Amino acid sequence: MKKNRLIAILMAILMVAMFAVGCNAAPSTGAEAPSAGGEAPSAGGAKGDKVVKIGFLAPITGGNAAEGAAARNAFVLAIDQANASGEYPYAIEVIQIDDQSKPEVGAAGAQKIVSDPDVVVASGHWNSGVAEATIPVFKENEIPMLIWGAIRENLTSVENYPWITRSAPTDVQENIPLAKAVLDDMAYDKVFIVSDLTSYGEGNTTAFTAELASRGLTALGVEKVQEGTVDFRPIIQKIKDSGANCVYWGGVVTEGSMLKSQMFEEQVDALFCGISGNYSQDFLKIGAEAAEGALIVKPGVVLSSTPAGSKFVADYEAAGFSEPIGAYTPYAYEAALILLNCLKQCGDAPTPEAMRDAIIASSTTGIMGTTTFNEIGQTTNVAAYLNVVQDGDWAVYDDSAYASGAKAFPGK
Amino acid sequence: MGLERVVNLLPGAVMMGCTYTLVAIGYCLFFGVLDVVVFCCGDIAMFGAFGIVGAYTILYSAGLIQALPLVVMVLLLLLIAAILCAALGLVSYYVSIKPFEKSSTLMPLLSTIALGTVIKEVLGLVFQPVVNGMAQAAINVPDPKSVVGGRNPQGMPHLIAPTGTTMERNLIIIAIMVVILMALFIFLNKTKMGLSMQAISQNRELAFMTGIDVKRIILTTFLIGGVLLSVGGFVLGNYQSIIRFDGGTMYGIKGFSAAVVGGLKSTWGAVIGGMLLGFVEVFAAGLLNGGTQWQNIIAFLVIIVFIIFKPEGIIGEKTVEKV
Repeated sequence: MKKNRLIAILMAILMVAMFAVGCNAAPSTGAEAPSAGGEAPSAGGAKGDKVVKIGFLAPITGGNAAEGAAARNAFVLAIDQANASGEYPYAIEVIQIDDQSKPEVGAAGAQKIVSDPDVVVASGHWNSGVAEATIPVFKENEIPMLIWGAIRENLTSVENYPWITRSAPTDVQENIPLAKAVLDDMAYDKVFIVSDLTSYGEGNTTAFTAELASRGLTALGVEKVQEGTVDFRPIIQKIKDSGANCVYWGGVVTEGSMLKSQMFEEQVDALFCGISGNYSQDFLKIGAEAAEGALIVKPGVVLSSTPAGSKFVADYEAAGFSEPIGAYTPYAYEAALILLNCLKQCGDAPTPEAMRDAIIASSTTGIMGTTTFNEIGQTTNVAAYLNVVQDGDWAVYDDSAYASGAKAFPGK
Repeated sequence: MGLERVVNLLPGAVMMGCTYTLVAIGYCLFFGVLDVVVFCCGDIAMFGAFGIVGAYTILYSAGLIQALPLVVMVLLLLLIAAILCAALGLVSYYVSIKPFEKSSTLMPLLSTIALGTVIKEVLGLVFQPVVNGMAQAAINVPDPKSVVGGRNPQGMPHLIAPTGTTMERNLIIIAIMVVILMALFIFLNKTKMGLSMQAISQNRELAFMTGIDVKRIILTTFLIGGVLLSVGGFVLGNYQSIIRFDGGTMYGIKGFSAAVVGGLKSTWGAVIGGMLLGFVEVFAAGLLNGGTQWQNIIAFLVIIVFIIFKPEGIIGEKTVEKV
């Protein structure tokens, strides 16, 4: 009896411990207490009583707050600049919704936006999962939404068109500039594809295979690994036997860095390339020598390389926001510029329907280039730039020793 | 291509086999003296690997690593990992096995799985960024500015033949394995302690009646098992170059599978089971086109076939009753 009680107590302690650990270990989806939807109107101006409202959704608190809050800052900055310009015959007001990276919070926020009769358009989301929860709300209530930062491919689709559009490139679209650089500019022609079995990996494999096919090439081999794979040496033997001079990795950083490390150890004479899921400091953990020469494409532009980008950085810094510019901050600013451009085309009294039609037909030149939308509302502007590991750190390819010719990629 | 590729795949297969063998032996030793499956073996091994990374970076920042000869440094790190894993082995005995000795055998099964999860999650949470920063310095990344916690993969310092070829490193690891197996064989068959362990494995009550100090033998087994698991973590980490806080789970499952295939109470069975699993995995991935995605499926199907047709294991004495 006593023993049974002891067992029960011990099991209870273990379960509580595991529960506690599990709670702490949960993905960062916003642990802080929500503040009732996080709505906070901003902008607005002294233009009489005529107001046009735009909904904006982002994870402003919680684990992704740094990205979400910086995006909010940039979006509001663009609207404030528009209000100050005097080019609009009404005041533009932003309804800010903190989705906390939680689908249910995002959906409640979306309801709040669509229930406001002054709202003509919305822009939302850093998390694809939250976007999936709010898209039905916007579609049913016929409010167009421009996605600024969620990159899962299926968010823009025939079903969601024309109400849902997206100004950020999808993860799969990043393969286009990478293929151009590797296959056209660098002229690699013997490609071996290694990828993982996630939807991310499968999407990349399909996209890069299509890029190869469009150039009359086929992959010398395609190997797909499960997440958590640690031993790539059997694959490396196949790569060596195939005579490949380029290895395309379609997964993310954990397995990608292991593959690169083991390729280095096995002295594979081939370029290692992949998309932005590998651009991480974690990649460098395999050591400077092993990581050297990995070529990774990343969405966006080097802001300092263009006058518009430099001006955005200067304006953002001058505004004194506490959050630094993140990877998707320029995309939020760009989304605001697109919506402002569309508002202009809708005259004095924009409506959701007019905005919907204006967005899908729009062509906006902002800080990331010129954005137009394809037949499912996905941007055709895939701004991206190459990065390479050089001497143990990431460097922008154009500024690197590889671009200047001081260093050469393997497989040449 | 055919034969040449087989030859090229061979070292990898032996290496994977070695890593599975070490954890399989851990399962065998524990099952032998206690008749329970200690399901946190893989996590204990991963704890040892993290211990090596942590100790290496702390010693590096103290300037000791640079001052010591490589062999001394490796032995020192192995000693630290062995102490950590042996201590964790004892903790696992006292926390997850001893309280349930006379109750249902399901209890230690669940409690060791629970303890394994605790070990894994604590590693992920507690392993601190500052250690990572040092690890980056230690593996020659000039600007260790990344701030990442234990849930991110950790770079394993190259400790075995750091300037040599992969083949040299593989040969060294295989030599280490042979030495460990020989030492274990001598210990189990030629020393009083080892013979006592075997006696308990065969008949615990009878061993107790002949005056064997069962409790002392059990504790010793957990110490030795912990040391073996630390070597397993060391070898695995060096082979992979990177370790993950949750890497011990699949490693443990595969090690357990190897132990069952070999015969859960036989050390040599564990060697054969470990090698079989390593060979099936590596050759399935290396010889079949697109075979990588099938390697786990094939490996576990082979295990299922084995336990259907040879439930007592390749060198087993009886079926696994308590799993």
